[in-house]
Amino acid sequence: MLNYIMRRLGLFISTAFILTLIAYALHYWLNQSHSQPIINGYITYMIQILKGNWGISIIDHQPILAKGLKSLASTLELSIFAFIGALTLAIPLGIIAGIYRNGQIDYLIMSTAIIALALPVFWVAIMMPTVSNIFHLTLPIDGQISPIYEVKNVTGFMLIDSLFTTGTYHFEAFYSRVRHLILPSIVLSLFIFAETIRLTRHSISMVMKSNYINAAYSKGLSTVQILRSHVFKNIYPSIIHDLRSNLSTLFSFAMTVDIVFKSKGSGQWLLTSIHEGDYIVLPTAILIIGGFILLSSILIDILLMLTSPTKRITLYVD
Amino acid sequence: MPLLDIRNLSIDINTSQGKLRIVDKASLAINEGSIHAFIGESGSGKSLIAKVILGIHEDNWIVTADRMYLGTTDLTLLSKSERRKIMGNEISMIFQHPKSYLDPTKKIYYQVKEALTNTSIIERLMHTKKYNKKSATRQRIKELFHRVGIQNDVTIMSSYPHELSEGICQKIMIAMAIGNNPRILIADEPTTAMDAETQAQIFRLLYKLNQLHKMTILLMSNNFASIRDISDHITLIYSGQTVESGTYKQITKNPLHPYTQAMIKTIVAFDEGVEHKSLLYTLPGNLPSSSEIPIGCRLGPRCPIAQKKCVEDPEQVNYKGHLIRCHFIKLEQSKYANTPKYK
Amino acid sequence: MSINDEFDKKQIRTPLHYIFQIFKKKVAAIIAVWIICTFLFIIIFADFIVSHSPSEQNMNALLLPPYWLKGGNTAYLLGTDELGRDNFSRLIMGIQRTLAGALIITAVVSFFGLILGALASSLKNFKASILHHLLDSLLTIPILLTALIFIVIFGSSFQNCLYAIAISLLPQFIRSIFLSIETEMAKPYIVALKIDSMSDLQLVKNVIYPNILEPLVTIINRVFTMAIIEITTLGFLGFGVQTKGTELGAIIANNFEFMYLSPILVLAPGITLFIIIFSFNVVAEGIRHAIIEAEQ
Ligand SMILES: Nc1ncnc2c1ncn2[C@@H]1O[C@H](COP(=O)(O)OP(=O)(O)O)[C@@H](O)[C@H]1O
Ligand code: SF4
Ligand SMILES: [Mg+2]
Repeated sequence: MLNYIMRRLGLFISTAFILTLIAYALHYWLNQSHSQPIINGYITYMIQILKGNWGISIIDHQPILAKGLKSLASTLELSIFAFIGALTLAIPLGIIAGIYRNGQIDYLIMSTAIIALALPVFWVAIMMPTVSNIFHLTLPIDGQISPIYEVKNVTGFMLIDSLFTTGTYHFEAFYSRVRHLILPSIVLSLFIFAETIRLTRHSISMVMKSNYINAAYSKGLSTVQILRSHVFKNIYPSIIHDLRSNLSTLFSFAMTVDIVFKSKGSGQWLLTSIHEGDYIVLPTAILIIGGFILLSSILIDILLMLTSPTKRITLYVD
Repeated sequence: MPLLDIRNLSIDINTSQGKLRIVDKASLAINEGSIHAFIGESGSGKSLIAKVILGIHEDNWIVTADRMYLGTTDLTLLSKSERRKIMGNEISMIFQHPKSYLDPTKKIYYQVKEALTNTSIIERLMHTKKYNKKSATRQRIKELFHRVGIQNDVTIMSSYPHELSEGICQKIMIAMAIGNNPRILIADEPTTAMDAETQAQIFRLLYKLNQLHKMTILLMSNNFASIRDISDHITLIYSGQTVESGTYKQITKNPLHPYTQAMIKTIVAFDEGVEHKSLLYTLPGNLPSSSEIPIGCRLGPRCPIAQKKCVEDPEQVNYKGHLIRCHFIKLEQSKYANTPKYK
Repeated sequence: MSINDEFDKKQIRTPLHYIFQIFKKKVAAIIAVWIICTFLFIIIFADFIVSHSPSEQNMNALLLPPYWLKGGNTAYLLGTDELGRDNFSRLIMGIQRTLAGALIITAVVSFFGLILGALASSLKNFKASILHHLLDSLLTIPILLTALIFIVIFGSSFQNCLYAIAISLLPQFIRSIFLSIETEMAKPYIVALKIDSMSDLQLVKNVIYPNILEPLVTIINRVFTMAIIEITTLGFLGFGVQTKGTELGAIIANNFEFMYLSPILVLAPGITLFIIIFSFNVVAEGIRHAIIEAEQ
């Protein structure tokens, strides 16, 4: 087990190293004046990065690292909200589809999933205000939080920071943030929803075909009992593993949603910087976003390995 | 009266190549307290029949039978789910590849415990105190494990299936199967892909269960030689048709069907020591694939004594409990030659 | 008994033929195929279908509704935009650009991806390790970010957008192909062929690819879906539209402000996009199911 964790950490370090190389290559290309040879340049660059001097934005003369992290936090809040919403709906639906495979319900659920997958994210995002109007919902349609609240930056996560303002605003700033998250996370959740249904259905139908489920039936257990005690433990590793490999696609969509809803996340940060000619954000974004996705992938791997006996089998193999 | 009585069971499966009759009028009668060997090459339909008995067949199988009784219960009248319900209590089954029947994510203890749902009343009275319940279950599992010859019960109970060998897993499956004192235990090629020593262990275990606990066992196998000597009754199936059925003595001493004769000839040749590198006796040809089954008697193309009439389905004939399904039984060979023929 | 029917065998010639036979029975998939054919027709004959030049402005007919609504005009089937340009013609030209772009990207990525995926699986030890670390790190960068980076490097034209998207989709494709090859490689029959001294590349080309059709369909469909979404997203964000042509994402971005005056401006291109992606996904699902059923 320790061995596995060490190897994952090794993978993390080597992959992170390649990421910094890519970032440096881009940095080098963007900086037209090259004062020193490439290798020395890389070392200097890395020293600056490790010291935390990631450069200053030419737009507002703020440190780029801080801006990048803050926008990442905003995108993360959005993604987590979308995940919670999508998973609570998609997993039960996926299970039902998997159990009644090739039946009418399955057909209905899978069609919903394909529709959700085929809806272009940015288009749904711009249609969202209209849709919420139709249902007479008065939800904010853009921004991160209502500008009337002054929230000091403590953790970078607006949801948490807004809780520090309860002295002035009670919970209103927090509510405002939550309300601002609703529409964008609905849009983003479509993709997660569709993927999760597909993955859950697939693993359920694989597991339901297996001999040990037949054996469980022959022990006289009911379907619900079987789901609870045999199926779930067997499917969650593969679902989480597949969702993990979709993280970067998901982040693409999150950035798109964030741009349309102007919610001050990574997407908006990148786009405005590029439009203003502040290209220095690009290598920074590679390091921040790529680094974040890499780190979470490795953590998910380790967690899965710690919790799932079936995953541990592979330990013996390699 | 037999404990399990199946007559003229046919199974048709709808496939992409049309409706295939995989099992054609198979009959099987198992007496209480006996070991009944059910022998046929792999692909001849043994597992299919077992699945139908248990009611775990798929929905696109069309099952028809003249008679299907377990004791006095008519199985044909029960729905699949009702049949599943009595299964746990009355019929238990063990399979080949036992590991695949164990949930890889759960420890053995929980899986065995799950199988022991209906603790007998006496046992419950013996452990009335509540705090005792867990250790009572453990105690019961321990006893079961000892009965099937598992010694290190504590380690096994806290292991995951992938940490154990196939042989141990099969013993665990047998322990779970006999845990609820079923009336009949169906063992479907329980030793396939195991080494000879483990095979012998499993067969000895089954024999002991039959002798000591009067367990009725339906033992399916493709290997006549390895199981004939522990069985009381033998039924042979060829390509979905039961060809011959009788007591151990009837089948081994006086085989009447050409298929049985061929099979026995092969084994006898083995027993008597064949000449080095001589050709072993077998029937020409192979088991037909399920999409090109011959009409009439399915042995036809391979049968040494086949004649024109064999394109018709032979009726099953009964000589004092010895059932044969062939048009041309050589009566002069038979010691029943003078007894009247009846159905 | 039908089981004896010798003629049954003759209906099934090759596996592909068999898959096709099953596929033909899937109504939804067949409808989707016809929809796709219609779109392909539009790509080829767009110039003949359009009634107006997509950039032709008519100051007397601004923001007309579609012809079936009050105030509509059959000269402008789907109405006009804020500059009096014909929505229908712009939509047709947009479909041509976007869909053709996505198809080209899919073809290019699949072509290089299949070759590189096969190479990746035949690499050993050190080289393989370097390649996989490189892929691992490329895969952590979201496609949108990669595309933006390449647009900054190449400059923002429609063609460069296509390059950027193709490059950013390639690592994912290689990785998925590689994983499917690995799974198939581990099967016993492959080991047997290896013992028969078949080289890895031969093996991949002649044995593996025909046997991983099902995941292949899924992967290619995923590339297409991502390609079309990224093209339109970049168009929507304002990249690659300096040139005169139209693109569905760019049309939506352009019409976005006037959505409340004339909803068709945003609905038509959006729904078209949806139908394109949906039909391709339905066909891909249909093919996948046909392959799975055929294997059984
Ligand atoms: N689900 C199924 N669909 C179609 N044919 C099947 C199915 N299951 C088994 N068969 C066919 O039934 C025949 C008998 O299989 P089986 O009962 O497993 O044989 P045995 O257990 O005697 O080795 C095989 O030839 C197989 O091709
Ligand atoms: S019925 Fe005919 S083919 Fe069948 S076993 Fe008897 S003789 Fe042989
Ligand atoms: Mg079998």
